[in-house]
Amino acid sequence: MRRFLYADPTVCVGCRICEAVCSFHWEKTLNPKKARIRVRRVDPGLDVVVACRNCEHPWCVEACPEEALQKNKQGIVVVKSKKCRGCGACVEACPFGAIFLHPETQKSIKCVACGFCTTYCPVNTLRITTEEELAALKQQKVIQHECGNLLEELRVEREEKGGEE
Amino acid sequence: MARKRKLGGYAGQHLHVDMTKGLCKPVPLEKEFAVKYIGGQGFASRILYDQVGPQTNPLSPDNILIWATGPFTGTLWPQASRYVVGAKSPLTGIFGEAHSAGHWGPELKFGGFDTIIVTGRAKNPAYLLIDNGKAKLIDAKDLWGRNTNETEEIIKETHRDPNLRVSCIGQAGENLVRFAAIINDYDRAAARSGIGAVAGSKRLKAVAVRGSQDIPVAKPDKYLKVIEKLHQKMLDSPFTASRAKYGTTNLVELMQEIGRLPSYNMRSGVFAEYQKISGEAIREHYLVKPRADYACLQRCGRYTLVKAGPYAYCGGSPEYESQSALGSRCGNENLESILYGHHLSNLYGMDTISTGATISWAMEAWDEGLITAEDTGGLDLSWGNHETIVKLIHMIAHREGFGDILAEGSFRAAQKIGRGTEKFVMHSKKQEIAGQEPRAQKSMGLASATAARGADHLYAFPVLDEIGFDEEIGIRYGEKYLPEIGDRLDPKYKGIMVKENEDFCAVVESLGVCKYGTVIPPVLFYEDIVTTYEVTVGISLTEAEFRLAGERIVNLNRAFNIREGIRRKDDSLPRRLTHTPAPEGPSKGQVVELDQMLDEYYEQRGWNVKDGLPTNHTMRRVKLEDVVEDLAKHGIVLPN
Repeated sequence: MRRFLYADPTVCVGCRICEAVCSFHWEKTLNPKKARIRVRRVDPGLDVVVACRNCEHPWCVEACPEEALQKNKQGIVVVKSKKCRGCGACVEACPFGAIFLHPETQKSIKCVACGFCTTYCPVNTLRITTEEELAALKQQKVIQHECGNLLEELRVEREEKGGEE
Repeated sequence: MARKRKLGGYAGQHLHVDMTKGLCKPVPLEKEFAVKYIGGQGFASRILYDQVGPQTNPLSPDNILIWATGPFTGTLWPQASRYVVGAKSPLTGIFGEAHSAGHWGPELKFGGFDTIIVTGRAKNPAYLLIDNGKAKLIDAKDLWGRNTNETEEIIKETHRDPNLRVSCIGQAGENLVRFAAIINDYDRAAARSGIGAVAGSKRLKAVAVRGSQDIPVAKPDKYLKVIEKLHQKMLDSPFTASRAKYGTTNLVELMQEIGRLPSYNMRSGVFAEYQKISGEAIREHYLVKPRADYACLQRCGRYTLVKAGPYAYCGGSPEYESQSALGSRCGNENLESILYGHHLSNLYGMDTISTGATISWAMEAWDEGLITAEDTGGLDLSWGNHETIVKLIHMIAHREGFGDILAEGSFRAAQKIGRGTEKFVMHSKKQEIAGQEPRAQKSMGLASATAARGADHLYAFPVLDEIGFDEEIGIRYGEKYLPEIGDRLDPKYKGIMVKENEDFCAVVESLGVCKYGTVIPPVLFYEDIVTTYEVTVGISLTEAEFRLAGERIVNLNRAFNIREGIRRKDDSLPRRLTHTPAPEGPSKGQVVELDQMLDEYYEQRGWNVKDGLPTNHTMRRVKLEDVVEDLAKHGIVLPN
């Protein structure tokens, strides 16, 4: 099962704290270009977190001529930095723009779903999730939305009838 | 020789840009300068003092324009997105500055620079591209005449990089509107002092920046522990939830409640139709989503959408200042016109406060029969005529017809028109007073009169006496001043409050962080700055040293203005606010007891009560001995 980082673009406010925290976690410095996660603002209104989806059949792994990218037992695509030559084939291959070259070493960097950033998200939308969990959450949201309306309708109906208990 | 260890927090370089010669040159940041003036406002203040004197015309090539970040800009301090733009102001003719947030300031540091210092004037319009430590000027012929959104988009397309950050002017800056702003990230405004006109006079259309350089952290093993604590404190504050829900838009309701919502050009502090322009009205009908600037936990920014009609748009939401300036102040209850007028002002690059205040001055003069259709080219300036308000925004930005006169700001416009309209100019030092009716909050009156850039609520930002912060007031100013200091209608001890706040705000703006979280809600204070500065920059400064640095910056700005001829007589408010009792609402019958508060303020500052000159002793105490000497060269001898 895929494990990946996710944030709801309608909830994310685009503060980019996760970028700064990620770069600090891995590199002990503040530099969004060294982060494994990127927040992209699509004006107006959407803030989209871009991070590796750890695809079932990853394009990047196939594209890497050095076999520097591998999928581990937990289903996470990891970079073997020693093997990486910074050719950027993985960047070209990834359809999501979710793998990057480190601005100094020029080796591939990517999110390994460590979850370190999630605790810093001020709107609590950043999470490590799986498809199943994400689907369940969305179902819940839809149900809450619809049933919320239903309950409201019921309440109004009751009030109109004369407010009996 | 061993290489000097780089300071944490800073990018470590200034960028000098000579528009006349078309040259860009990086200059290393000196450690001593960085420690003494911190960054941001402090850097801008010192550089301005040294390079711009009384002989400089603000719109001449001799003026300089400074973009400056601080050591916390782009870090993980809560709300670490700020930068300042400084110049001699074409609106006031004295010290000028404006502040903005967004993502541009942090990017400047990732691009390798703490500050940009622009001199001269280009022959043809140009924009500056900063690309990872390198900088060049690029022809901006195709950008000139464009609004701020078009400018940002064209630059991003030209360089094929949607992640470029752009700070730019619109038509108002090009046309030297005296209250033109600089806009970054589409709708974040460095609004006041007319700094956009300074950029226009230099023919500098935009500064685009990107980079992949580190903001180094001096003590990485301790850094996150310190930051986590600050974040937790912010999230625990009940204010954070309210900010997330309304931003600053519901201040309309709160200010109405205390009679501090300016209406009809500050004739009054309440507005009968306030609910129609309220935060709740925006939230209910137009709010799309809250939005945060870099490293912001408060997320007071937001998107709003007007779906259809003449005022349709989607983009940044107005804040309280725009709601009051284009709304209640002009007697305007049409919320869609306020939202759209704010949007237009961002597109043209204009300060909404001065725009609304200048229009409301004209509306009052119209109401009094002093301005007629003959002056306005047939426009009807009746209170609340929203079509006129929106039309005038277009006309001011393009300097068309009556807009050409208003583009000079209310003070100059009244000088030009005369006929007794001068007494309706709500200004201090020629800058329009912001959305705080000071008869309802005396500290705000004093703050407007003493602010270095002319009327301003943010230079001191005294807000704790608005309502309900007595405990924090006791901690920040001393319990012995309670209860008077916490009473917004009592002038007593407001000199202490404003002095302390000006110092603290100077530190905050110099660090490159927001007044939200520091001043209001009063969560983060000097002790947090001391701890964070040590782990970020790697130098240990005491609280006393930070307080002194704040005082130094305020005194430096004062010295700049003293050199321009500013004295106590200029630390003034319009007669309406000091002599005409508030006509209605919770502050009915109140006036601003300015003289009494000024006496106390000067005493607290160590300035001469008679003329407002800093004393020799004060200037030496804040370590500005060289400034004393410079003032002497200008024939100004400070009292002892």
